[in-house]
Amino acid sequence: MDQQLLNAIFIGSIYALFAVGYTLVFGVLDILNLAHSAVFMFGAAITYSVVVNHGQPFWVACIVGIAACALMGLVIEHVCLRPLRRRQAPPIAALISTVGLALIIVAAIEQGQLGSRFAWLWVDGPNSVAFPAGTFPNPTWHVGDLTLEASKVAIIPISIALMLVLGYVIRYTQVGRGLRAVAENPRAARLMGLDVDRMISLTLVISSALGGLAGILFGVALGDISPYIGRDNVEVRGLAVIVLGGMGSIPGAVIGGYLLGLIEVLALVVLGSSARGGVAFAALFLMLVLRPQGLFGAQLRERI
Amino acid sequence: MKGLRIVSWLVAALLLAACGSSGGGGATTNSYSGKTIKLGAILSITGAGSVYGPQSWNGAALAVKQINGAGGVSGAQIALTKNDDASDKTQSAQVAQTLIQSDQDLALLGPTLSNSAVGVHPLAETLKTPILAVSTTGIHIVPDCNYSVANPNTAPCKYVFRDSLGEATAIPANIKSYAADSHPSTGVLLVAQDDKFSSDGGKIVQDTVSTYNINLLKTIKFNKAEADLSPYVTQAVQLKPDVIFITSLGGIPAKIMTIARTQGWQGQFLGGNGFNTATVSNQAGANGKGARSASAWYIGNTFTSNAEFVSAYKAEYNKDPDQFAAQGYAAIKIIADAAKRANLTFSDLPGDRDKLRAAMETVNIQTPLGPFQFTANHDVKQTVWIIAMDGVGGFTLVHEIKQS
Amino acid sequence: MDFFIQLFTDPVAFWNSHTLLIAQIGINSIIASSMFVVLYSGQLSLAAPGFIAIGAYTSVLMDIYWHTPVALNIAAGTLLAGAVGVLVGLPVLRLRGVFLAIATIGFIEALRLGVILNVPITGEGLGLKNPNPDPLGGINPVLASLAVVLFIMWRLTKGRLGAAWAAIRQDELAALSQGIHVARYKMIAFVLSAVLAGFAGGLEAHLSFSVDPSDQQYGVTRAVQILTFAVLGGSGHFLGPVVGALVVTTLPWIFQQAHDYINIVIGVFLIAVIVFRPQGIVGRGGLAVIRPAWWPRRARVSAPSPG
Repeated sequence: MDQQLLNAIFIGSIYALFAVGYTLVFGVLDILNLAHSAVFMFGAAITYSVVVNHGQPFWVACIVGIAACALMGLVIEHVCLRPLRRRQAPPIAALISTVGLALIIVAAIEQGQLGSRFAWLWVDGPNSVAFPAGTFPNPTWHVGDLTLEASKVAIIPISIALMLVLGYVIRYTQVGRGLRAVAENPRAARLMGLDVDRMISLTLVISSALGGLAGILFGVALGDISPYIGRDNVEVRGLAVIVLGGMGSIPGAVIGGYLLGLIEVLALVVLGSSARGGVAFAALFLMLVLRPQGLFGAQLRERI
Repeated sequence: MKGLRIVSWLVAALLLAACGSSGGGGATTNSYSGKTIKLGAILSITGAGSVYGPQSWNGAALAVKQINGAGGVSGAQIALTKNDDASDKTQSAQVAQTLIQSDQDLALLGPTLSNSAVGVHPLAETLKTPILAVSTTGIHIVPDCNYSVANPNTAPCKYVFRDSLGEATAIPANIKSYAADSHPSTGVLLVAQDDKFSSDGGKIVQDTVSTYNINLLKTIKFNKAEADLSPYVTQAVQLKPDVIFITSLGGIPAKIMTIARTQGWQGQFLGGNGFNTATVSNQAGANGKGARSASAWYIGNTFTSNAEFVSAYKAEYNKDPDQFAAQGYAAIKIIADAAKRANLTFSDLPGDRDKLRAAMETVNIQTPLGPFQFTANHDVKQTVWIIAMDGVGGFTLVHEIKQS
Repeated sequence: MDFFIQLFTDPVAFWNSHTLLIAQIGINSIIASSMFVVLYSGQLSLAAPGFIAIGAYTSVLMDIYWHTPVALNIAAGTLLAGAVGVLVGLPVLRLRGVFLAIATIGFIEALRLGVILNVPITGEGLGLKNPNPDPLGGINPVLASLAVVLFIMWRLTKGRLGAAWAAIRQDELAALSQGIHVARYKMIAFVLSAVLAGFAGGLEAHLSFSVDPSDQQYGVTRAVQILTFAVLGGSGHFLGPVVGALVVTTLPWIFQQAHDYINIVIGVFLIAVIVFRPQGIVGRGGLAVIRPAWWPRRARVSAPSPG
């Protein structure tokens, strides 16, 4: 049970970090960015590739990976979102354009093999890979029955620190006030002289950088990097987390992440392994029916 | 009756061979020369199955290149098309129909995934077209190509063959050999319940362990899209079993091994076909050292047909082949051998398909998989290699089990 | 290229050798109509794959255990899907926008992972064999049903029901103040959508040799695909989602020349279509050709937007 609690906290941190980027975009734009899971995978893949195929140190690779994701945030904004905003498209149209971009990113990595056009990006194709041992220091401690791995333990302070910084930036800085103004009412924000497009670009950059970092931490802690980690493993759970925490709420997403990790592990321990998958989604369904504003959602905005 | 037919074809084939040899420079009288043998490969080039599909294709394409380069099948060139099914079973069936009815292919290879095979194989059977599975290992792919526990198929599928080693052979062989070596008494099974391949393997493990006095303490089911398998592995490790059985594929086996070793578990991993690629061994690294599985193929085998295949593959693709490449390569060799003996007319397609099917039943050739024949059930009859991960991305040979 | 060459030079042979593809387009069109009904009434419900699964499993199970005729099995699957639609609709229909979408995702995944994978009668992960599949002959009932479904859609959108749905979609409060029984009309749309999806599921199972609980069939992947039918085709006209289903189902054949890079080409195509036609290929008003941005437009009155 104790080890299981640790498992819940580790995976909860990754859910939280993934969901914070997700919920940030939803909070500001009222759009579900379905390319976020592809960016999550992209961060992990680029970092791995820079270490293993281009022979750079791990820390350099992390910076390259996060930078690549931040750049991808700009691509999302300029290719998928801004043209639609210009044409007053319904927000639902953004679902399709971001799905299209996610398809492209996943396919580029999946087809990245020796001799292919994407070999500079990735050479392992659809295969799942892990960082070679010794890429980063990873001491493991055994305390009683518990196993503590540095790579997993480190996730917790990193996640919490990042989320505190983000919370501070949004609440107390000029940029944060701008973001909140855009989230509240883009038209009013524009009238007050804010560059709304720039604010939205910034949102996508921050969100995608966080998504990429979450991907890197996932790859480091779980030893599993493949083109499908975002789409298969975290996308739907990311949705569940932002709903649990209340759409658009950053502290909500953090607590929602840990809560989902806990629910999943509890379902396994209490109800047995075969029920677990269904339980998490049944909980999501009930949560929405009973308390649609989420656990911590301040207010419910309705736009389709 | 069937035996009689086989004998008659054998006689015909022998006669043909005799004619060919006595005719000397009989290239002009050979009805094969200048003709094309059209084959279609349905493989998962994109999507989840693309871990395997491209290797199958590379192997098959290499064999086609070699055969055509050496004058073809008695002068007829093989034309093999590559058809992606996007790892989706509905697309797979659509592609199969087009290849059979529109492209008029003589025979098909594939599909890559068992999940797609249960749709494609019965379709090929309905349309009387030989199909050779090159990577599917699920239970009852042959002879009853559309099987389910609730309503088993009684009529065998006549047109469906497979040259990949079924889990129903591989997993018991692996468990048997390890039980003989180390006499384990307890085990835990980890199975991806939403994956047909893994569920099939899990069922075989459950049915097999008692034969070798292994007490299966628990079957732990998970979904293949779990973010983190730690909770499941923790549950398995806490039971302190001698053996952990893993029947999944892709990145899952390596993840389970890494978590279990990190949590200090020292027992033995036994698995199925999901272990048999260098990628899995590489991803698991030192944590996978010693993990055993039964394989259809072993890269280190030095018999001629394998040594030649490995060096030709390396020269062509600049990397090592894997089991799926070997099976794809063997598939073309098998069909080429059958086509050579089948006395094809190249004008009567349904008749030619029937002749090819009959000739495939009597294939007996050397392949990278070893000496190759089909059983009466159209399944593969070949040597099984028990291999263990070496901890640095490769495998070592533990046992060689000849099939009688 | 063979695909198009044959389509135009030898349509009869094309038809005969692509019946599976054409039947799948038909089934996907019915599913797209199911998506259309909910979107037309302003509800972003992604529950269709769940109802497809109910229709498919019900009809196959009845065939296995009771040996009843196919038509009866599909009808039973359709009815059961409708009944489950009522049960699911009652609690979730007060949710709106992405909240409804996510609640319905919770429903389909709980059904797939929690129920289908854990109830022995469904064959769990191994799936079930369909005792009487008809992959090659099943195309006729599919196309006949599609014609009936499209006719019903056309009549509904022209009638009172369609007008009420449109009013709810445009402004729920205004509709309520006009005396439209919003909850009832939304429920009708949701249940009709469930019925159509269940029916399509039964048909789809009839064409398949087996049913199995994969994500591509009954999970989120399918839900996103169905949403793509509707949004890409255009959800303002009943033909929009059908055109979307036709285009999306045929994409792998249209772009087969791209070989290994097909998904990249499809991704670019999706983005391009939605950027140039944000309201979908068919658009709001009816059939319209794709018009590039630089093409001179007629002056038009912009549609009044709520709020």
